[in-house]
Amino acid sequence: MVARGAANVWWVFDRKRQIVGRDNVIRSGIETDPKKARAIAKKAAHHMAIVVVESLRSTDFLSDEDTTDHLVLDIKPDVLAVMQDPEQSLIIASGHFGNWEVAGHWVSRFKPVAGITRAMNNPLIESMVKKRKSRFQFRPIPKHDSNMGRFLEVLDNKEFLALLFDQHAGDYGMMIDFFGHPASTFKTPAMLHLVTRTPLCFASCRRIGPMKFEISTSNLIHQPRSGNKNEDLKGILDSLNRDLEAAIRKDPTQYLWGHRRWRD
Amino acid sequence: MSDTAKEEKIIGQLRRILEESSTTEPDWDNFGRNSTIESLGLDSLTILDLLYDIEEEIGVHLEAKEVLNITTLGELVDLLIKNGA
Repeated sequence: MVARGAANVWWVFDRKRQIVGRDNVIRSGIETDPKKARAIAKKAAHHMAIVVVESLRSTDFLSDEDTTDHLVLDIKPDVLAVMQDPEQSLIIASGHFGNWEVAGHWVSRFKPVAGITRAMNNPLIESMVKKRKSRFQFRPIPKHDSNMGRFLEVLDNKEFLALLFDQHAGDYGMMIDFFGHPASTFKTPAMLHLVTRTPLCFASCRRIGPMKFEISTSNLIHQPRSGNKNEDLKGILDSLNRDLEAAIRKDPTQYLWGHRRWRD
Repeated sequence: MSDTAKEEKIIGQLRRILEESSTTEPDWDNFGRNSTIESLGLDSLTILDLLYDIEEEIGVHLEAKEVLNITTLGELVDLLIKNGA
């Protein structure tokens, strides 16, 4: 209730995000009617506020051995085998869809997970989030301190590296179609996979009911090295974007439409 | 092949790779062992691109974490020779 209220206030005052969100929904082709697109973007704004509350409240059930009341799992066998292998690390690529925090904490039951985190604007919420994260094997890498050395250390330790790849990547990115329109996409998960040979998969965590989620993964992404770096990168990033699009289509109201992914 | 000839060959290969992939304009006139990684426009993100190209062009797989610690082209050449280039 509080989360929805805060999201409503934010929605009313942040007109710029309203427009970006609505226009992104239309551009994706998920909805062409501006009023319906705006409704999706508004629900998505609510969703982001709910993500914070859910993440804080999910601590208890994520600590339980039996999570069947809260989690439906669709982890592909090849991915599960890597997760359970103490000798293997894994790059988990995902987007700002559903509740990626819940997924990150669930997967940390296998081995430590490192991911880039951005501090919450509200110091009280930030303190609660930090306290909660410390209960799991989650190792936050502050955004300002995220660099390749940290990522390689995680992989070298045979841990999981969780990367959200769906924000505007600027000059370092590669232009890859997202819902049919070119978007600068982070190359990091793909380059790490190609150079270190660490297994890579896509994962998402969709809310399917109150405090109930479906965590699913793709199969491991196999991109044989062709000798053409850009072709190899494109193959992987295309695959990741298609997986993310498919997840979003299942419930467009759980995606961060307010981000300016397309900059042309 | 003498050590010097081997080094020169590798430096030439690295130059070709960087000429094709670099998005900056390194000082090619002074390109050599003493060139710093930074002056070649490489950072921790683009170094992975370089590693991919090295493996394809020179045929040597380098551990990324080892390469992150080097500061000059000369150190990279030494690492490549140590790994069989």
